[in-house]
Amino acid sequence: MAVRDLPIVGDSFNVGFRFQRYWDTPMANAFFSCEAGAGLFFVSMFVGYIPGMILGIVAGVGLKAFFHLTHMGVPFRSWRAAIRPDRSWTSRGVLGIAVLVVFGVAHIVIQQYGLVAAWGLPGFVTDLVIFGAGVGAVSCMCYQGFAMSHSNAISLWSTGLMPVSSFVYALTSGVLLTLALAFNGHLAEQAGLREILVTAGLFSCFALVAVLLSLLHASRHGSPGAQKSFDLLTKSLYAKWFYSLIWVAGIVVPVLVLWLAPGYTLVLVAALGALIGHYAFRVLIFKAGVFEPIMSFRP
Amino acid sequence: MARWGMVFDMKRCIGCNACVVGCKQENSLPDGVFFTKTLSEEYGVFPSVNRVYIPTLCNHCEDAPCEKVCPSGATYTRDDGIVMVDSDKCIGCGACAVACPYDQRTQLSADNFKSGLFGDGELTPFEEQGYARYEPGMVTKCDFCSGRVDAGLDPACVVTCPTDARIFGDLDDPDSKPSKLIRERGGRAPLPEKNTKPKVYYID
Repeated sequence: MAVRDLPIVGDSFNVGFRFQRYWDTPMANAFFSCEAGAGLFFVSMFVGYIPGMILGIVAGVGLKAFFHLTHMGVPFRSWRAAIRPDRSWTSRGVLGIAVLVVFGVAHIVIQQYGLVAAWGLPGFVTDLVIFGAGVGAVSCMCYQGFAMSHSNAISLWSTGLMPVSSFVYALTSGVLLTLALAFNGHLAEQAGLREILVTAGLFSCFALVAVLLSLLHASRHGSPGAQKSFDLLTKSLYAKWFYSLIWVAGIVVPVLVLWLAPGYTLVLVAALGALIGHYAFRVLIFKAGVFEPIMSFRP
Repeated sequence: MARWGMVFDMKRCIGCNACVVGCKQENSLPDGVFFTKTLSEEYGVFPSVNRVYIPTLCNHCEDAPCEKVCPSGATYTRDDGIVMVDSDKCIGCGACAVACPYDQRTQLSADNFKSGLFGDGELTPFEEQGYARYEPGMVTKCDFCSGRVDAGLDPACVVTCPTDARIFGDLDDPDSKPSKLIRERGGRAPLPEKNTKPKVYYID
């Protein structure tokens, strides 16, 4: 019997795989809201859609902070999470969020109140604000993946594909949310932009396929722990959720809608599907993470 | 300065779990929390069946992933190599717990302290004074009984072991018992592929 065939033993005093149980649904909520919110802000900034930017910051920062505090064991000390950016991706992420808030809000205020004309702001200031907001948004879109892959304790997570998956999911959710929110308003006046977003949505869904397949390939041929996670996702405990929510709702539905008939109602369905897929990915990737048996004497 | 480490002699461990009880008592660990566990594994097919006991605890890694990911600076390594958690700095984010390949960290919850060791909801004076060092929400783990080590004593699990299956000492001293055992009997580190350089070794 190979190590891969050892059972999942929970908290018992037996040798086997153990589920990671420290990061669960509240953390998945926080990661999802940050990625989807930052993605929405990023894409809305690209198309100049201010309500999307505001909603993006509210979800990416406000909701995320709320869910993080519900997860945190000692929430009144959570300010300490920012003090080790030299070594911790959590600290770097907190700084990224701060950058997004400062420059993102500045960008929204400048755009909303036309401060360039009113105050005669020089071009480099607005460029700097846009650059800062973009950097903040991109860091919020992908730092969760870096935080997960920083340690090789959980083999499923220990891959460079984690930050890529964070970014691509954030981008997909951002594109589809922006499409859904601005379809009949901001984007109705700019058909060219709408076409660009539809195409971007399709390409980001294809990128998701590539990322997910690569992730599955890496875990299928990885260490025993990674193989166990692969089995959990594709063959046993989480398979029905993995296929129905991540693949069908999260990828197949948006691709079909965007490819065949991107009308308003269907775009709403596509955006909902993409969000369901994104959230399911966040939850299942936490739940399928296992620690390897530290030692086995099986022949 | 010493560099503390431990060796588990698998030929000697009889799975009595005295180390587990000694650890819980020394550290006043609440319900459901263990700093050390003696895992068991059965293998083979009847009539050729075997059972082996595998003691585990924090490996106090040289390249501790828990320390690298800690965003608050709560996890640190002492000069003598013992990896510690500063309970006043821990925010309970769990980043260290998911970064430890050996699953040797525990996030305390209020539930751990509710029932008491007798399960009747009342804490004994022993529990009351012992639990004062913990805060619900924080992450905690084995510290090689650093207080005892500083006083020149061995960790509680080591002195409790009736078969001398746990051997504690200075890994930098070539004449120390653990150094000799590692050298002479080929000490193996757990999950070496994780590159954490544990200071706990197994010999069999």
